[in-house]
Amino acid sequence: MSAKIEVKNLVKNYGSNEVLKNIDLTVDDNEVVVIIGPSGSGKSTLLRTLNKLEEPTSGTVVVDGINIADPKTDMNKVRENIGMVFQHFNLFNNLSVGDNIMLAPVELKKLDKAAANKQAKKLLETVGLADKFDATIQSLSGGQQQRVAIARALAMNPDVMLFDEPTSALDPEMVGDVLAVMKKLAKEGMTMVVVTHEMGFAKEVADRVVFVADGKILEQGTPEEMFDHPQNPRLQDFLDKVLNV
Amino acid sequence: MHKKLQKSFFGMIILGMMLMCFSIFATKADAKTYEIGTDVTYPPFEFANDNNKYVGIDIDIINAVAKEEGFKVETKQVGFNGAVQSVQSGQLDGIIAGMTITKERQAKFDFSTPYFKTGVVMAVGKNSNIKSFADLKGKRVAIKTGTAAAQYATSLKKKYGFKTATFDDSDNMYQDVLTGNSVACFEDQPVMQYAINQGMKLKIVTKAANTGWYGFAVKKGTHPELIKKFNAGFAKIKANGTYNKIVGKYLGSKLNPDLKGKTFTIGTDVTFPPFEFANANNQYIGIDIDILKNIAQEQGFKVNIKPMGFNGSLQALESGQIDGMIAGMSITPEREKKIDFSDPYFMSGVIMATSTKGKITKLSQLRGKKVAIKTGTAGAQYANSIKKKYGFKTTTFDDSNNMYQDVLTGNSAACFEDQPVMQYAIKKGTKLRIVTKPAVKAPYAFAVKKGQNKALLAAFNAGLKDLKSSGTYDDITAKYLGTTDKKVADNGQGNEDRSFVGLLKQNKDALLSGFAETMWLTVVAIIFATIFGVLVGLLGVLPNKFCNSLSSTLIYIFRGMPLLVLALFIYTGIPSLTGQKIPAFVAGVLTLTLNEGAYIAAFVKGGINAVDSGQMEAARSLGLPFGKAMRKVILPQGIKIMVPSFINQFIITLKDTSILSIIGILELTQTGKIIIARNLEGFKVWTIIAVIYLIVITLLTWLSNWVQKRTNV
Repeated sequence: MSAKIEVKNLVKNYGSNEVLKNIDLTVDDNEVVVIIGPSGSGKSTLLRTLNKLEEPTSGTVVVDGINIADPKTDMNKVRENIGMVFQHFNLFNNLSVGDNIMLAPVELKKLDKAAANKQAKKLLETVGLADKFDATIQSLSGGQQQRVAIARALAMNPDVMLFDEPTSALDPEMVGDVLAVMKKLAKEGMTMVVVTHEMGFAKEVADRVVFVADGKILEQGTPEEMFDHPQNPRLQDFLDKVLNV
Repeated sequence: MHKKLQKSFFGMIILGMMLMCFSIFATKADAKTYEIGTDVTYPPFEFANDNNKYVGIDIDIINAVAKEEGFKVETKQVGFNGAVQSVQSGQLDGIIAGMTITKERQAKFDFSTPYFKTGVVMAVGKNSNIKSFADLKGKRVAIKTGTAAAQYATSLKKKYGFKTATFDDSDNMYQDVLTGNSVACFEDQPVMQYAINQGMKLKIVTKAANTGWYGFAVKKGTHPELIKKFNAGFAKIKANGTYNKIVGKYLGSKLNPDLKGKTFTIGTDVTFPPFEFANANNQYIGIDIDILKNIAQEQGFKVNIKPMGFNGSLQALESGQIDGMIAGMSITPEREKKIDFSDPYFMSGVIMATSTKGKITKLSQLRGKKVAIKTGTAGAQYANSIKKKYGFKTTTFDDSNNMYQDVLTGNSAACFEDQPVMQYAIKKGTKLRIVTKPAVKAPYAFAVKKGQNKALLAAFNAGLKDLKSSGTYDDITAKYLGTTDKKVADNGQGNEDRSFVGLLKQNKDALLSGFAETMWLTVVAIIFATIFGVLVGLLGVLPNKFCNSLSSTLIYIFRGMPLLVLALFIYTGIPSLTGQKIPAFVAGVLTLTLNEGAYIAAFVKGGINAVDSGQMEAARSLGLPFGKAMRKVILPQGIKIMVPSFINQFIITLKDTSILSIIGILELTQTGKIIIARNLEGFKVWTIIAVIYLIVITLLTWLSNWVQKRTNV
């Protein structure tokens, strides 16, 4: 397994507020890494630096051998290979479900319209929404929207998928459908970095779990190591709180 | 008790009056000095010089005459109307205040021989090579709404193929010439001359048209010896050159009469009622024409009258194509550099008018009341000069009609206006009456090229004297300016249909072209403002701090500046800074582009910012470049938010075009102003204009709603 993403000495400041403090993180090809941690710990920020939605203050973020912290890097090219799924779905409200999925491949000349259309339908089938091709975004439930969002990200055929709390904004009964799609992706060998509070998903799907608190990675390891034998007291405290509700 | 109080009150008044009489008799008893009233400030006739000493043509003449005849005078700067009233009440012995000799005044005053005349002139930039009306072809001429000079210029425009830009006050009109946007302007001679004397870099290139005469006066039947002395003294100072010296001192000219007779070609204005205009039979009549024809008859020469327009006549005169010119031209020092003027044959001046229903007939009745005046006019200056004295307040209007309306509705007790304009308005049916004698005079004179046709000039002067002594002159002026008794049946303009339909029919072409200009201006401005606004708005949302602050600054500046100020700044300021002319239409479009564009930018920015930031993040995360994300995702959503604001802004733009009338663009509002300046039907014409605007805005709203519905699909 080669390193897909390599983060070194990553620092992110918002003004004088240090959000990420010297983070080192490696994600291997086909690896599923789940980032957990308390709210405000910097885990979303860390995820967003991986496709430069957040500009690193210092340090390097290398994706597929390209340092994206370098201002000269053409981020648009890099982002084509990094899909992202947001907490609030962020589907394009002005476009239909099908057009949401087709927009990027057509605009970026990956596919012609007909091929993009075909692909979109196939992707919708994959996420279980084959009948929603012409639907408006407003007519979908949260869970449906998030599955469309996953399909949209997949349409660019990325090597890496980033998930930023994909189920946090969903009604509980919707969560399962979305997680199912994600599990399917993981099984197919997609490299995934997932920020989530779904500990069950972490246990089941993650190759590695990373615990972030106060802008630092305090502990990482296999789900078993992390959930069954947590070393760091902060992690023990955190797990205590989220698992024994 | 009540009666007692009244009695003592009357007693006090009588006592006060007695005291006043005593003091008057006292001053008369202990010195043989005549007290002569003059205006307060009416350059170059009377004004305080740098040492605060009163000087001027009037002052110098009366002093010279007094010296000649061995009597003493003391001038009192009590203001024109003050002087008039003081003379009438016997508190002053005489008045020399640029007072025009009129028939009405002759009923209450004994006038001396006329001593000065004035009129309307064309002025061009100091370095301009425009010399005659013919040079105006295809060019633009600045005029002032509602003035005799504007009417005159308008009457010439077709003939000489120039365009006019109309302004509300003299200064903007001058600026338009100074910046080179217009090549010339038309103005009352003393006003123009005064402005030039004040340093305005213009020069007068035509002779005064529409002239009038000033005379020295005493109360009718009193001081016949003073009039005799004045006339004798005036004859002497004219003969010995003192008069020429005095006039030359202030106006830089000399009159040089010489007598002879033949056939002369005389230029006149095309339409400048009541001085010259074509009657229903297309024959030229008017004060100028009648005076000239009568003089020609009396002096035994023939005239070939060519109504070639004011500027045209002026240019023809300078180029020697015509021998003389009579076109309501006022005498100005600048004109007198190139033109020899006759004695003034008509004196325009400022009068006070009140409602025919009201009781106010005197300045002294104005205390505590409101008086309507028109921006930038001699009337306004005059009113302001006497407001303290008479304790009234002034309300300022941009055009005569609004001013008249204010008096008619009773909001104002009176208004001050140029005499011929007022008389014309009254003749046209405005229910006002003139209650004071003219102040702030402008003398109109017959003109010849400087140094040329001296014989003609002398003949005119001699003939004019004869006309006046024979009473023919009074008959002529009464015919055109008379209030009731003698109407000009064949005026042609007197029996216009003044109904809405009639007004629409008469002004159809003007309204249509004004409407077309408004629409054209609106459409062009909307296109450019939208482009500018969207660009600036987008600058405001680019991920670039410099662009953002540039956007904010542009919005701040152009949204923060009143449209009117911006228009004037661009139109008059930019040419001053760059030396580059800017056509009014371009300046107008630029003004609207910047101002409306700033508003558009603000809501474009707001509309885009109102789109959830997650939309942009999602688009960018897919690898879409900023521009593509903007176009495909953000703008379609933002525009939906902006559409109502756009519609609103388009309607505002349409309405805001009316403000551009200030820089002389002949759009709908300006067209209305001009129509009203001519026919004084303010209420009806403004109603028509308002309805046109409403119709267009309604149509625009429907169109916008339709577009909005389509974009929503």
